[in-house]
Amino acid sequence: MKLKYIIVGFISTLLISGCSESFLEVDSPTDETIDTYFTTEAHIQEAVVAAYEPLHWPDWAMSEYNPINIMSDIMADDIWVGGQDKTDNKNWHLMMNYESLPNYVIKGIWTDAYSGVKRCNDVIKYLGWCDNISTENENYYKAQALALKVFYYNWLWKFWGNIPYYEENLSSPFIADQISADSVYTNMINNLETVINMDAFPMKETADNYGRVTKAMVYMLYAEIVMYQKDESRYATALSYMEEIINSGQYSLASDFTGIFLESGEWGSGSIYEVIYKDDDAVRSWDNPLYPGGTILPTLISPHSWADGTDGHDQGWGFCPVRQSTYDMYEEGDTRRDATCWNAAAVGDYNHRYQDTGFFLEKYAALTGNNEDQKADAQLNWNNNLRIYRYAETLLNAAELLVRTSGSMTDASTYLNLVHHRAGLTDNVSPTIDNIIKERHLEFVGEGKRYWDLIRTDKAESTLVPDEFGYRTNTWSNSKKYLPIPQSEIDAANGTLVQNNY
Amino acid sequence: MRKLLLFLLFMSVSLSVFSQNILVKGTVVDGKSNEPIIGANVVVQNSPTPVGTVTDLDGAFSLSAPSDATLEITYFGYKTLQIKVNGSQALVIKMFEDAELLDEVVVVGYGVQKKSVVTASIAKVSSDELDMTAPVRMDNALKGLASGVTVTSSSGQPGAASEIRIRGVGTINNSDPLYIVDGMPIEGGLDYINPNDIASIEVLKDAASGAVYGARAANGVILVTTKMGTEGKTRVSYDFSYGLQSAWRRRDVLNASEYAVLRNEGAINAGLAPIYSDPYSYGEGTDWQDEVFYDNAPVENHQLSLSGGTKNVNYLFSAGYYNQKGIVGGNYDRSQYQRLTLRSNTKYTLLDESKNRNWLNKLVVTANISYARIKSKSIAVNSTWGTPLSSALALSPILSVYDEGDAAEAQIEKYSNTTGYVPMYSEDGKLYSIPGSEYGEMTNPLANLSLPGSNNWSHKFVANFSAQLQLWDNLKFKTSYGADVSFYGYDGYNPVYYLRNGGYNTISNAYSDKADGTVWQLENVLSYDKTIGVHSFSIILGQSAKQSSGSYLYGSRNYIINYDRPYIDASSGLAENADMTVAGAPYAKSTLASLFTRVSYNYNERYMFQATVRRDGSSRFGANNHYAVFPSFSLGWNLTNEEFMKERPSWLNMAKLRLSWGKNGNENIGNFQYTVLTSTGNNALFGINETMTQGVKASGLANEDLKWEESEQTDLGFDLGLLNNALTFTVDYYKKTTNGMLMTMNIPSYVGESKPIGNVGKMENSGIEFEVVSKFNIGEANLRIGGNLSYLHNELIEYGNDSGWANLDSFQGAGTISRAQNGKPFPYFYGYKTDGIFQNESEVETYVNSDGELLQEDAVPGDVRFVDVNGDGVIDDDDRTDIGKGMPDWTFGFNFSANWKNLDLNMMFQGTIGNDIFDATRRTDISATNLPTWMLDRWTGEGTSNTIPHYVQGDSKNWQSSDLYVYDGSYLRLKNIQIGYTLPKKWTNKILISSLRFYLSAENLLTFTKYHGYDCEMSSGGTSLGIDYGVYPQARVFTIGANLKF
Repeated sequence: MKLKYIIVGFISTLLISGCSESFLEVDSPTDETIDTYFTTEAHIQEAVVAAYEPLHWPDWAMSEYNPINIMSDIMADDIWVGGQDKTDNKNWHLMMNYESLPNYVIKGIWTDAYSGVKRCNDVIKYLGWCDNISTENENYYKAQALALKVFYYNWLWKFWGNIPYYEENLSSPFIADQISADSVYTNMINNLETVINMDAFPMKETADNYGRVTKAMVYMLYAEIVMYQKDESRYATALSYMEEIINSGQYSLASDFTGIFLESGEWGSGSIYEVIYKDDDAVRSWDNPLYPGGTILPTLISPHSWADGTDGHDQGWGFCPVRQSTYDMYEEGDTRRDATCWNAAAVGDYNHRYQDTGFFLEKYAALTGNNEDQKADAQLNWNNNLRIYRYAETLLNAAELLVRTSGSMTDASTYLNLVHHRAGLTDNVSPTIDNIIKERHLEFVGEGKRYWDLIRTDKAESTLVPDEFGYRTNTWSNSKKYLPIPQSEIDAANGTLVQNNY
Repeated sequence: MRKLLLFLLFMSVSLSVFSQNILVKGTVVDGKSNEPIIGANVVVQNSPTPVGTVTDLDGAFSLSAPSDATLEITYFGYKTLQIKVNGSQALVIKMFEDAELLDEVVVVGYGVQKKSVVTASIAKVSSDELDMTAPVRMDNALKGLASGVTVTSSSGQPGAASEIRIRGVGTINNSDPLYIVDGMPIEGGLDYINPNDIASIEVLKDAASGAVYGARAANGVILVTTKMGTEGKTRVSYDFSYGLQSAWRRRDVLNASEYAVLRNEGAINAGLAPIYSDPYSYGEGTDWQDEVFYDNAPVENHQLSLSGGTKNVNYLFSAGYYNQKGIVGGNYDRSQYQRLTLRSNTKYTLLDESKNRNWLNKLVVTANISYARIKSKSIAVNSTWGTPLSSALALSPILSVYDEGDAAEAQIEKYSNTTGYVPMYSEDGKLYSIPGSEYGEMTNPLANLSLPGSNNWSHKFVANFSAQLQLWDNLKFKTSYGADVSFYGYDGYNPVYYLRNGGYNTISNAYSDKADGTVWQLENVLSYDKTIGVHSFSIILGQSAKQSSGSYLYGSRNYIINYDRPYIDASSGLAENADMTVAGAPYAKSTLASLFTRVSYNYNERYMFQATVRRDGSSRFGANNHYAVFPSFSLGWNLTNEEFMKERPSWLNMAKLRLSWGKNGNENIGNFQYTVLTSTGNNALFGINETMTQGVKASGLANEDLKWEESEQTDLGFDLGLLNNALTFTVDYYKKTTNGMLMTMNIPSYVGESKPIGNVGKMENSGIEFEVVSKFNIGEANLRIGGNLSYLHNELIEYGNDSGWANLDSFQGAGTISRAQNGKPFPYFYGYKTDGIFQNESEVETYVNSDGELLQEDAVPGDVRFVDVNGDGVIDDDDRTDIGKGMPDWTFGFNFSANWKNLDLNMMFQGTIGNDIFDATRRTDISATNLPTWMLDRWTGEGTSNTIPHYVQGDSKNWQSSDLYVYDGSYLRLKNIQIGYTLPKKWTNKILISSLRFYLSAENLLTFTKYHGYDCEMSSGGTSLGIDYGVYPQARVFTIGANLKF
């Protein structure tokens, strides 16, 4: 019979099935490997964009609510923690009372910041793989990556001080050297000086590029870390940068303080840097919190069970009631009082949760309509941009640096009183360090400035003391400057991380 | 050749003593039914001239044969018998069906083996045993039937899959066994197999039996063999059943008055004003469980099969239809399962010249083709985040299901300003009540069930083709190609609704997801079996290549125009307004290329030896670790075949010792873990218009050294057969160590990227398994009793991080509740140990550490006394410890079947011993939640309770994770009981029916357990093994059915 056909058939089957190495080499249908992808300028630009992404994460990512402004303000003296009780965001409550534990300390900022650092380092690495790119453009991408890297390290440096620091991304065994807070400062300032020397940024971006690094933003970052480090050798340089911003004429104080924190006030004349959040078609969601969109900050800090729409506000979870003392510190006529402290108890019913005072932080309160155009989860798609640097701070930095470098007191007075008068006050304030710090207090409640100001001016120990309500029972001390490093990081680092003496 | 043999035989016979021929008469009957067997062949063996006959209509025969002759009786489908005449002239010969013959053969990878020479540890479940439990899914079928196999029901939800663990949780990574159906690996959608089509399931438990599947066998292998037609006239069978399902138990919760009393007490204890001024005025209130459970939910099953065969073709065709409504949501079109299955198994003998030559003499081709169509819907379960069941337990009995009259107006008034509010009405126009924000995520469960839900669907085709050619002597070559092609997806829509604050939808949308998957496998196997005298060899040599691929497409669109047409094309959202979403791509392929060989040898079935080696290459690993080699060895010793055992007592048939060792692998991780790809969608917003700008980053960190997870296993077994194998007994001891467990490397988060997978951990399982089967007759009754019992010890040796532990699951309000830790079972329950309740102030004051300081200074009488486990003088987080585990120490199954005349009875029990359940169903962080009835026995004053603390609203200190949540999870359950009656043949034969049987059965009729939850068969697996977050309970089902055969 057809025996030979059968034989031929079987032999060919054997041959076909003889497998080759290439059978095991499988390519991803959707993604390239990085070394072939990041070789064109267009793709480098995409890597730069990815380096900006972690800026918007801290409010809700890595399963933690760590809004960067609130995380410093709860350690200062303007807001309580609130929430349901002391176990609701327990790590916040412990931070507030300077009793953070390695197992109960914020970790979101830690992970977010290092994600940013890693992406910035990658941009610099990828630039080495890309040939067809002008020196000018290469400089621009590199300068953004370096500036953002310092911006991210600044978060880590201020909260934890002595941190693992790396300029090139880690490979197996994935361990970085931990360096002292002073060394971190040296590295950051070196990077910033490199960036400034590259002169790659405009003083102010065009409207389409708001959110990109600018010269003014880098200068503000420079002044912030120099002043926090109390690095007197660089005060003069920092001052010159502040004056360069002032003299550029590209920024000015918005005449109406109240309007600054409205949607219409975003990227106003006094805005130097903001992290952009939006509600229009926003699809940031509980399932995908890392995706850009809105912010959850207003939900966190608005009154619980508030009838939506009452007094133009929507409800939230009742965190961060503003202290009565903060409301009381404003003089009559200071427009910043009502723009900062919203007296919710006076205008509506809500569920008065832990540490309630009746006041909530108006700057980032859930204003009705501010999330109406979102398309995913309404609670985390509020459109409030997070204000990072405002021109008012440039003026107050300049005033303070003038005083500290024995510069022109006239100029210092002018700068200080520009800010003071914009609030609707008519008296003149004399340019002393105390007055400048007080003005910063009045100006920046809820913006994450106060706590660091108290530390760098050595006022923390005398100001951050137990309160009359029994909420804060511990006094700040120098050992509280750096939070405990999260225990999981200590564990994972195989004995290479030394815990802060908190 | 044959003639030569016959000649030689003739010579030997002719040399022996010639004895006288006598007339031998006899009847051949079926050994079970005693009915005559018509047409059986009766042949005198070794007769110089062929002498034989065939039995007549009464099963009788007569022939002339030597008085010491041996008769060989053969009949298709029955075991061949040799009977010595011994001068007897009236023989009654009982024949037994072939099925029992098959029992002595075990399917192993790439072949079958006589059970008597098997050296590995293999559990077999036959179709008879499957019939006893009538499972819906093949994975559920194994429950209680095989030792060493832990089947965790994922849920009582219709069609829900089970989690199967063979010899424990082998790894932190994926611990699912490998499923091979008729030689084809199946990687998903296991429910495409109709259990009625299964001839047998073999569970390869030890490394030696699994080694032939090398890289995928570390968690055991389950071999499924489907039925095949047998030679003879066409057999038609039709089975039908219809059942009614109800929850076998409810949880006891407070009624309205009890609730009001306790809420008042809780408020007062918390220093607040009482809530209800007249608690007793509320009566019984709403029984939310009554509202949610669907009693007498129907389930129906139809099976039709045709099978038969001629000399050259064997065929089986079967069709099945199964339709089940769920006991929660089944009446709301939210929880149901429908399945249509079709199967055609055919075997063609294209060439059979084996009588004429010994080379290229036989070619057999098989084609097994199956199709399954499944539609299902399911509700969210096992969660305390507002599922229908968790809400039913949590809502106050004072709340009503509907707001009617003034209450309706009040609701609309109250919520009119609330973002997203829309009134929700039932089908008969009643307004669903809204529990309110004090219930957290809980919602009105009926309003929740009235939402449309998502429709899941799938089509799956699995086809295997093989051709086997006898090359020379016993050398065979088999080539096979199998393809598993599936199309699956889900579609549905979200209307505008409002259930609660944070649980609402303001934009309707329609969505649809369609995916396809293809797995193909090509295998070529050479095999050679030979027996030379007392030496038997069997060698296989094979090659296998497999590829999986697929793709998906998803789309959704906002603003449905009319809910009657909830489709993407019938919605009005525009892409430019971000009201349309699309996603889709091919899935990454994965490939596996392997070579394997197995050598088996036995000496006179006395000493057995087997060695297996498989070399696997997987695309999931980088070029430097593509390949891995998995060896195994096993030895067997049949004591009863030893010369010195010849004089053994007649009741001892068989005693066999087995020893095996081997290594298996696990490659069950995602693709491309060894390299770094680009990751898109890491976007940022820029500009005054907040423009979304595309960002791309690296997908992660590379671990180029990623390699296979390996499990190494030693097995020692002993088989015993007594009383002519009426009683068989098997015991196995094993120890299995998994090395280089694939899991996320515990490196610092400061790397700034998702962490790579590495070979980091180590796990050890050891245990003992027993199986016993006894078959015997009492008078006319045939009985069979089978049982199995397994002991398992699981230990995580090395978690792979510096601290040696990791917190796993948590429960709102209670904190971490499960944990992984070196030296402990994986996972175990984690929390405080308690030591009763403080009865009075002096007990608080005397509860001090060695320095005399109060251990619980904030405690008041009625609070829980926590134990200072580490003895450091303070009670804090460090005192949390091991408070139980979800994995049972012992699992057992026990089945009993009997038939007497036309009646039959089957029973199957199963159970566990030594497992705990963590009852995480009551959210203590929600003050308004209803309470379990046992809270009525709370502490209310000295001496009232030493187990349940006083009730305080907002109490978080007494309800941190502790042993108060942990209950004994041991149970014994009568899984199935069935009573059948077969109509007498003399009636049914008249209408051409060969057999007609009616039966009544009950599933989950009796359950003995101390646990008070919905079910003791715990649905959570993985890291939440044994944690009850609110399971969908298994139903108690009463079924009537009929089996009809033509």
